[in-house]
Amino acid sequence: MGLQNEEKLELGCSSSQPRSKKWVLLTVRVIAFLATATATLVMALNKETKTLVVAMVGSTPIKVTLTAKFQHTPAFVFFVIANAMASFHNLMMIMVELFGQKLDYKGLRLAMIAILDMTTVALISGGASAATFMAEVGKNGNSHARWNKICDKFETFCDRGGVAIIASSAGLLLMLIITAMSIFKLLNKPKSVSS
Amino acid sequence: MIKPKRLLSLLLRFIAFGTTLAAVILMATSHEKGTFFAVSYEAKYTDTPAFKYFVIANAIVTVYGFLVLFLPPGSPIWRLVLALDLVFIMLLISSISAAMAIAQVGKNGNPRAAWLPVCGQVAKFLQPSNRSFSCWFHCTDNLHYSAALLYLQSP
Repeated sequence: MGLQNEEKLELGCSSSQPRSKKWVLLTVRVIAFLATATATLVMALNKETKTLVVAMVGSTPIKVTLTAKFQHTPAFVFFVIANAMASFHNLMMIMVELFGQKLDYKGLRLAMIAILDMTTVALISGGASAATFMAEVGKNGNSHARWNKICDKFETFCDRGGVAIIASSAGLLLMLIITAMSIFKLLNKPKSVSS
Repeated sequence: MIKPKRLLSLLLRFIAFGTTLAAVILMATSHEKGTFFAVSYEAKYTDTPAFKYFVIANAIVTVYGFLVLFLPPGSPIWRLVLALDLVFIMLLISSISAAMAIAQVGKNGNPRAAWLPVCGQVAKFLQPSNRSFSCWFHCTDNLHYSAALLYLQSP
């Protein structure tokens, strides 16, 4: 009888402590989802059209209409796709946390969550850094390669791109924290509860 | 003697250290001179901040990899190593991605921004000039993928 009471106490203690951790993890995931979704949307809707005067023929100016879109640069395309996939991953993880407590695959649930979180961190970091350096070239140009800067002409495009990159970096930081928490959850898996 | 798990872990970390070291050396020592429209220039890794970031990030990870090789198995620092592994994976992948983004523009150019490709550009109507910037960047990136993936392990 005494032993059974002790076991019940142990189970009660171990289930109340992870509950607050579970809500912390969930809120961080929601914020990370919002950050990556913002980055995706801002970059995907990033478009600027500008009419530039190229030359003067007599007295009539020749105008050229140029459009700056995110699809023109593969780095930004990768950025949008990576952030979209990261948002989708976060959404899936939130759904699984809230509604799929029984979902398990041969007892590897925590390990799979940790591994998927790590791959998402890798994906976002790749996208954010590629976009950052492309934006840096666009802003400062590169005299060695004779690439002119374009941000002085397309200011709104560059500003919005910058906002998207900042949002993605914030999401990256949060994903890093989430991954660390998932890994520690995996390491401290309560062995008395399972099997 | 040495447990097989520890041996495997050591082997993987050694390979990762080797590949990051090779990436740093390759990127830092490759430079090319060329002429393009009678203007001669030299291409080095310091031309672009992306390549500078690549070299610095890989140098940091090389040093880290070297130090971790000598960590005894029972030490409590391994928990820190686990966390640092994650951070360095992220650093490596971002450096690869940055270098590849710039190398891709260097190879293909971006016609809408009037950025000419500078990789191996020999226009047919020009004199057979030497290669301009070459695309050695890609080989270092391949080395790099293997290094990044090898870090996804713990003792």
